Amino acid sequence: MERGAVWITKKFEFSASHRYWLDDWSAEQNEKIFGLCTSPYGHGHNYELHVTVSGNVDPETGMIINLSELKKKVSVILKEFDHKFLNLDTPFFKERIPTTENIGLVLFEQIDKVLSPDKNFKLKKIRLYERNDLYVDVWRKTN
Amino acid sequence: MTIAISFSRIYRFSAAHRLHSDSLSEADNIEVYEKCNNYNGHGHDYTVELSISGDPDPKTGMIIPLEEFDRKAHEILDELDYRHLDKEVPFFRDHLSTGEIIIQYLWDRFTEKFNGYVVSHLKVWETNNNYFEMQRVGD
Repeated sequence: MERGAVWITKKFEFSASHRYWLDDWSAEQNEKIFGLCTSPYGHGHNYELHVTVSGNVDPETGMIINLSELKKKVSVILKEFDHKFLNLDTPFFKERIPTTENIGLVLFEQIDKVLSPDKNFKLKKIRLYERNDLYVDVWRKTN
Repeated sequence: MTIAISFSRIYRFSAAHRLHSDSLSEADNIEVYEKCNNYNGHGHDYTVELSISGDPDPKTGMIIPLEEFDRKAHEILDELDYRHLDKEVPFFRDHLSTGEIIIQYLWDRFTEKFNGYVVSHLKVWETNNNYFEMQRVGD
């Protein structure tokens, strides 16, 4: 059987606040669907992000990707999220609510953008924990 | 690039059970199930990780509203919480309550309960040291 690719994962943390609210919905409708997340001034979480990269092991270095390089690249992106109110302080959530799903999709897109120039590896998957009992996975399908 | 996304919640329930197969002799039950065959049963804090995949609603940004997710999951899991599975949960009166069968039971119940959504992955921890997983075909 052909050997599959190796995956490597690095964990990151950032803390941010957000609010779920749709202006064209009544307060009742917002509260019914979004519950406590409608709290007017926002609320916050300590997010935990797992970034998984897949690729071939470089015969010279024995590595898929230099972890300190991965750390540097992802940290630049997370700087825009860390200790921010995501709705107002980042450009990503003007037109969409910073739900866990949407934060996950934005992070996948942003991280993929900085990693994609190097063809030796690919962003395979991210897992974003909003709390220790709630997370989102975003992954690249194989086919 | 094809991207997929899933939303997951982690729940816990605590239950008692005993692994004992009527088709095996007393001696074979002890040999196969060892301490899990203890006559008066024993219990675990089970942890359940349930994942629903699909495109988030463009307006709400959610695959499924959290309140609906929790309500539906609890409707299934509350039937097991603080129960003796084999004695008090009808399904397990005639099915062994191994982790393998518990996860298949939960998969079937969740897929039925979350009708209209896609259950993509399920993980059931029986203890901190062993867990069972099921994944939707094609994911």
